[in-house]
Amino acid sequence: MKFFRSLLAKYMFIILLAISIVQIAYLVIPLFVLGIAQNGEDDLSKGAEIESKVEGKWHAEAKSLKNMTEEAIVQHFESWKKQYPKASMFWVGEDGTLLTTLNVTEQLPSKWTPAFTTKFIKERYGGDPFTVIAFLGEDESNGFIVFEIPKEVFTPPIRSVYEKYGAFVFFGVIAIILFFIIISFLFFKGIRKRLLHLQEAMELRDVDGLPIETKVKKKDEIGQLEHSFNRMVCELRESKNREQKEEQLRRELIANLSHDLRTPLTKIRAQSYSISKEALSKDGKQAIKAMEASIVSVDALIENLMSYTLLMASKYKFEAKEINVIRFVREQMTTWYSVFEKEGFEIDIELHSFEKNEWQVDPIWLGRIFDNLFQNILRHASSGKYIGVETESTEHYDAFIIKDHGNGMKNESDAKGAGIGLSIVDIMVKGMNLDWDIESSESGTKIKIKHYK
Amino acid sequence: MYRILYIEDEKEIGQWVTKDLTERGYEVTWLESGEEVDQHIAFKDIAILDVMLPGLDGFSIGKRIKRENKEIPILMLSARTAVEDKIEGLNFADDYLTKPFHPDELIARIEVLLRRYQKNDDVLDLQHLKIYTKDMRIINKETDEEIQLTGKQFYLLQYFIRHLNQILTKEQLYEGVWGESYIEGDKTLMVHIRYLREKIEINPAKPTIIETIRGIGYRVKQ
Repeated sequence: MKFFRSLLAKYMFIILLAISIVQIAYLVIPLFVLGIAQNGEDDLSKGAEIESKVEGKWHAEAKSLKNMTEEAIVQHFESWKKQYPKASMFWVGEDGTLLTTLNVTEQLPSKWTPAFTTKFIKERYGGDPFTVIAFLGEDESNGFIVFEIPKEVFTPPIRSVYEKYGAFVFFGVIAIILFFIIISFLFFKGIRKRLLHLQEAMELRDVDGLPIETKVKKKDEIGQLEHSFNRMVCELRESKNREQKEEQLRRELIANLSHDLRTPLTKIRAQSYSISKEALSKDGKQAIKAMEASIVSVDALIENLMSYTLLMASKYKFEAKEINVIRFVREQMTTWYSVFEKEGFEIDIELHSFEKNEWQVDPIWLGRIFDNLFQNILRHASSGKYIGVETESTEHYDAFIIKDHGNGMKNESDAKGAGIGLSIVDIMVKGMNLDWDIESSESGTKIKIKHYK
Repeated sequence: MYRILYIEDEKEIGQWVTKDLTERGYEVTWLESGEEVDQHIAFKDIAILDVMLPGLDGFSIGKRIKRENKEIPILMLSARTAVEDKIEGLNFADDYLTKPFHPDELIARIEVLLRRYQKNDDVLDLQHLKIYTKDMRIINKETDEEIQLTGKQFYLLQYFIRHLNQILTKEQLYEGVWGESYIEGDKTLMVHIRYLREKIEINPAKPTIIETIRGIGYRVKQ
């Protein structure tokens, strides 16, 4: 990543910009003031003169005055008046008499006592109006002349700029601050938006359950993050594909194994069937029958073993949907009815509607549960010659009950083969959020498959 | 005599099935692979296919047969028992039987398929009835009179005959004949079955042709 494309660079640029604006402002304001000062020279240049200059000039001119006549003084005052129209001037003679005044608005005594003079000097020192007192001529014998001018004339230019252009400067500063805030806001808003977009992309799921790759538009830090995210999604997808392939291989292996076991089993059946067609002794017939039973048994065992292996590895396909279970079980019974009928069972079916017949189950799994239970009855409880399938509704659950009158599970010597079949039932029942229980005694077994309300 | 095309690569199984089917009166053409299926499929009434075969597998052969000969029912006979295989097979095939199978079951399934495709005998003897299945004419053998059925009774009986020996639930019957979803508690079907029994049973109070299978549905057994 190039440094200039990074967010860090952008942020530093904004900070630099902000600092520069402050610096530039320091530069601009004096220039601005100077510009204004130059434009408005008439009003301000007089004021721009400093007080001491006026003071010096007043003293110097007073000292250099030769002619001490009233006319000369008045003339002197007039010439100052031209330069400083707001100024007022007066002359107090050597004996304290107020001799000449110009533009004086205040009340002045016509006779100045030393006390008043002292008071006057004390009052005016550093005060407003700006006052300069100078002796006329070389010595004090001609009295003194006083020059008064309002302090505002000497107001520094910057202050008049503030007074005149204050609002403008104030709004200018506000505008600069606002500008900086807006730039920062836009900068962080941009970052936030992209982060939120990335978060959204992480939460969205494609059809395969993986996040969707996001478009990388910029090559900054967030761009890199998006890039990493995309790479991660890619890796996830690859890993999922790999897993699916493995799963496929596993299924394939199990299916092939099952196929390879069943083919010889079919051959055995072919042979036994051929033998059964021959004239056989009673024992021979008995042996063939036993062989047949074993074939069926091994077949079921292979099937169960395969299913169990898949189930334990959570690779058995599961697709739950809402089905009408009463109808489903009834249809399930149509195939098993003939089998039990052929074996001479008493068949008792009582299926009544539940309050809610729709259960969220995988029909293949539910079918498998019933198949396993019925197969067990056929194989291990056929002595009872009875099968009952009924429904039960209680306050807490709806249930299917499968009953037989066999010898019960504990007493069945060869019931061990039923173990794996029942394990499958157990996994499947729990996998579909159902529950089941078994009551088994010497007079029969009762299995309940319960769906809690 | 029905002609069966049978494809099976396992010699022992192939010989056994061929022998058994021939003994039961079928004419069997047994092939060990699917390569020559096109030359033998003509005029066959049913095809029985293994899945794992050298060269083309049974699914591909079955799909090819079905594409060109829709009227030939296909029964898959395989040692592959996984649900996925069954589902794939039943996508095009009419039935799927897993090995090791009992020959009686194979015959029963063949007969169901032949009946469904109406390739079986025109005449079906059902207790005191003689039914000409092609045009569904029903003759009472005892009186030699033809029994006239109304539309729904006719379709109901036809549905039973197509699914001979199978137990049918009320839902299956209603949806098969009326073509609508069955609503729990609807008495229409029962009423029509009662009328049908009145016409075809000797004693409608004790029906023997249309059996009631308590808790499940009905069955017509040959």
